[in-house]
Amino acid sequence: MLKTAWAGLRAHKLRLLLTSLAIVLGVAFIAGTFVLNDTIQAGFGQRVTADAEKVAVAVLPGGPDKTIARETLERVRGVAGVREAQGLLRGSAPLLGKDGKTVGDLPTTAVSIVPGALDRTTIVTGTGPGSDDQAAVLDENTAKAQGFRLGDTITVLDAKQRKHTFRLVGTLDPGLDQQLSYTGVVGFTMATAQRMTGEKGFQEIDVAGADPARLKATVAATVGGAHVVKTGTELAADLARQAGLEMEMLTIGLLMFGLVAMLVATLVIYNTFNILVAQRTREMALLRCIGATRGQVFGSILIESAVVGLVASVLGLAAGYGLSVLTLAVLAAFDAPLPTAATVTLTPATIAIGLVIGLVVTVGAAVLPARTATRVAPIAALRTQVEEQTFRTGALRVVFASLFLLAGLGAAGAGALVLPPGQQGSLLVVMAGGVLTFLGVLILGPVLVKPLSALIGWIPAKLFGVPGRLAVDNSGRNPKRAATTTVALTIGVTLMTLISVVTASTRATVTIKLDEQFPIDYQLVTQERDAGIPRVIGEELRGRPELAAVLRIRDTRVAVGGTRTQVGTYNGPIEPQVTAGSMRGFGAGQAILAEYTATDLGVKVGDTVSVTTKKAGTVPLKVVALVDEESPLPSLTMAEPQFEEAFGVVDDSRVLLNIGEGVSPEQARSVVDAATAAYPTVQVQSSTEVRGQFDETLDMLLMIITGLLGLAILISLLGIANTLSLSVYERTRESALLRALGLTKPQLRRMLSVEALVLGLIGALVGVVLGVSFGWAASRAMLDGAVFSASAGQIGVFVVLSGVAGVLAAILPSRRAARASIVGSLAAG
Amino acid sequence: MTLTETWRQAPPAVLAKALTKVYGHGDAQVHALREVDVAFATGAFTAIMGPSGSGKSTLMHCLAGLDTATSGTVHIGDVELTGLGDKQLTLLRRERIGFIFQAFNLLPTLTAEQNIRLPLEIAARQADQVLFDRVIDTVGLRDRLAHRPAELSGGQQQRVAVARALISKPQVIFADEPTGNLDSRSGAEVLSFLRTSVRELGQTIVMVTHDPMAASYADRVVFLRDGALVTDITSPSPQSVLDTLMKLEA
Ligand SMILES: Nc1ncnc2c1ncn2[C@@H]1O[C@H](COP(=O)(O)OP(=O)(O)OP(=O)(O)O)[C@@H](O)[C@H]1O
Ligand SMILES: [Mg+2]
Repeated sequence: MLKTAWAGLRAHKLRLLLTSLAIVLGVAFIAGTFVLNDTIQAGFGQRVTADAEKVAVAVLPGGPDKTIARETLERVRGVAGVREAQGLLRGSAPLLGKDGKTVGDLPTTAVSIVPGALDRTTIVTGTGPGSDDQAAVLDENTAKAQGFRLGDTITVLDAKQRKHTFRLVGTLDPGLDQQLSYTGVVGFTMATAQRMTGEKGFQEIDVAGADPARLKATVAATVGGAHVVKTGTELAADLARQAGLEMEMLTIGLLMFGLVAMLVATLVIYNTFNILVAQRTREMALLRCIGATRGQVFGSILIESAVVGLVASVLGLAAGYGLSVLTLAVLAAFDAPLPTAATVTLTPATIAIGLVIGLVVTVGAAVLPARTATRVAPIAALRTQVEEQTFRTGALRVVFASLFLLAGLGAAGAGALVLPPGQQGSLLVVMAGGVLTFLGVLILGPVLVKPLSALIGWIPAKLFGVPGRLAVDNSGRNPKRAATTTVALTIGVTLMTLISVVTASTRATVTIKLDEQFPIDYQLVTQERDAGIPRVIGEELRGRPELAAVLRIRDTRVAVGGTRTQVGTYNGPIEPQVTAGSMRGFGAGQAILAEYTATDLGVKVGDTVSVTTKKAGTVPLKVVALVDEESPLPSLTMAEPQFEEAFGVVDDSRVLLNIGEGVSPEQARSVVDAATAAYPTVQVQSSTEVRGQFDETLDMLLMIITGLLGLAILISLLGIANTLSLSVYERTRESALLRALGLTKPQLRRMLSVEALVLGLIGALVGVVLGVSFGWAASRAMLDGAVFSASAGQIGVFVVLSGVAGVLAAILPSRRAARASIVGSLAAG
Repeated sequence: MTLTETWRQAPPAVLAKALTKVYGHGDAQVHALREVDVAFATGAFTAIMGPSGSGKSTLMHCLAGLDTATSGTVHIGDVELTGLGDKQLTLLRRERIGFIFQAFNLLPTLTAEQNIRLPLEIAARQADQVLFDRVIDTVGLRDRLAHRPAELSGGQQQRVAVARALISKPQVIFADEPTGNLDSRSGAEVLSFLRTSVRELGQTIVMVTHDPMAASYADRVVFLRDGALVTDITSPSPQSVLDTLMKLEA
């Protein structure tokens, strides 16, 4: 049997190669993900280890938001065996850009840079500040983005918003610290850092000395139980773990796409083996005639699949290795905040996972076809004409499909319409519904193929005459095969459409909610809550004729019923979405709550909440309305006079502006800019900018996910090409007959292209229907008050691309069909 | 003037001169056809006979433009096939030639009627409805038009193939052992349709066959041996064909 398996492999090597490509791609993606993860984790480890070698012992604060007092440093310095000890300080110090405004959404983080052996910063260009209190360093990205060069003068605000200037002497690499990478870093001497940030304590004390373990004990005894003391090695392990956590999430995300790809690959392999078995019916029957047992026939096919799976997995591992090397190179080229320098290695675990997945998927997909092969009766060897695969819709199939569809659509409907939106449970129910529906469609596929091909093929049949009509007939000719082929494509298209619909709906929902409540043109914000927007700005803007409306929000954080809550008020026109109660006649003694705040506090309209204030003691407020969380109002809103009474004069925290009728945006912007020019911390954002950022993020997400799903689409195309080339092979004599009757080579090629086009479009159409439906359901389940929106353009592109891809998949098979000699093909049999 | 003489004077439907076909190279070279000169008269039913491997199929394929000869010329009517490209050959087949093969004549996805109309549709020509009805009635397929090949017997399938070949009024129909897979009764039916179409519609038919009985339906039989034309007889009977064959094989 080994011999026949081997002969089978050799006889069908081209087809099996195409099939194995599907596995190669899937395994490569999964293995590549693991290799990437391993390499980056190793990189994290290397970096922190290098850092931690400098540190024998580190003292950390006892909890988050706590710091280490300065005296503690002195005490640590006095411990026997401590060669050197330095505090590390970290705080906010907003850097001003060249436009005189603070840079970024969050204040720049100031860090102290210590001289000597305990310096852990990586200076990239120039030098550190040394002992020069007038010198500063910036992280590379901020310096580049803001256009600062070494020797330039930079302006930084201190804790009281006063400007200080420094000479830029160097740039540093923030390394793996996500916070620093995000906010940007400005490095000072310890003295300057203390002066600028106003921070009293340290974030960490690093100690140099011999024998870390002993030192750890003595230092711990000195600093007392309120601190955490670690050796350098322990610190390194912690840092590596934290840094690696995010990478792990990313890895899991990537693996999901890998699984989708493998699922598609499974369908492709299943189809190929099914077709191979169907074509070799006579061969199998002959084997049975000459005495092969069913088990032997079964075994020969499984061996064949195992060899294919093994070869493909090995190739996949190699490709995955290459893929991760490539990805790392790209990441390095884009300066991603990830270590890319570690040596790329295929760990035994990755090799094992790759091989097992590839083998299990391939052999698993071949089991059913192999079973079919065992059912071939020896007598089939004697039949001359290979029978046309007939397909009758079985009652059982319809019953099963209906059950799945009913359950799936029911679950999705319940998740979308009945369960409360915005909760994970609802989304999970919708997703489960999606999976069930998909299974239903999978079972019903063969029944759907014929009518769908007639529907979709209507235009090609009209357009391409005889070849078109024959192609449409052919596409529905073997419904089971066509269904499996197209379902593979459907998976990718469904997911792409779903993502597209969810992002479009999210965008539409958020935009509409914003527009309804306050159609903002500009908003004034600051980086930090504490640094408010001076009231004069709001007052001045309110007087300007260029602006139609000025809405000012101010707030503070105080205890409400024991929970620290954002309490505030507003001044100006606003119509938030009231979900319960009414805002009419809102005044003293009343409160408006954001929905989530009401849930947190466990109150509803009509209940009373008490706000604890310094000036007015405890103020009881009756809840009169709940508003949508998208509203710009604070968590708890009081009437303005009562808020002033309770908290005094508080700066505005947000000012929302609307341009007047007939005023150009430039004109209005210059007014707003002029009013805020004197206040570097006050940033002006236009709604187009804000929406632009939001849109960009969504677009980016959409692009990445679509790109990752592209792999699944690619694999399904291999499936189409495979099915088509097998059909071409089966129809050798048919094609020859058509050619004899006067079909030209281009017409024959066109016939196959149209067949592939129809298959591709069926897959895409089903995918679009499923994707739009479940995209809608998922949006309903995820977003409160979801507005359905779908980009016809994007979905159109998916459909067109599927069609084009199908046609591309047909190129090679159709060329082969057209090239075959008529005489030779007529004789084939 | 005998019938044969009339044919000889009319321009032939198919004319081959010094037709040679060589397969393979060097030692493995096979001369399937050696300088064959042959003419097939318009409106006549000609059979090609010869022992197995004598080059009958090869001759037919070269005459019909399905295969290209190594040297020599072929004319279909006034068109010379030599030097035509694949596209032109295809169009020529579409316009002027009909085929009946031994087996696998029909597309399994199409009904009998669709199969019959297929050549016309490929050529984007209108079917002559009068001719269609006459052909259908002649071959007796009226009640089978909506059936697919799988639902037809072998004899019925061959009759559909005959109808398909006739419907486009080709200059010549080539048939390669059209009755090879049929029992003698169905075979006789198909052959008499072929002869009727020659008599009544003036169709030209060239048929390759092994069967002396089938050959006797033809107006003339040409004999091949080792790729060369050796003899021909007109108005054959089964016995005269058999005798000639015996002589050839001896
Ligand atoms: N493609 C080919 N390659 C090489 N030799 C070929 C090829 N086709 C035919 N031949 C050879 O050419 C010769 C003529 O073959 P052909 O098929 O024309 O014979 P035939 O008279 O039709 O025989 P049969 O009665 O068995 O059908 C034979 O010797 C055959 O082996
Ligand atoms: Mg032959």
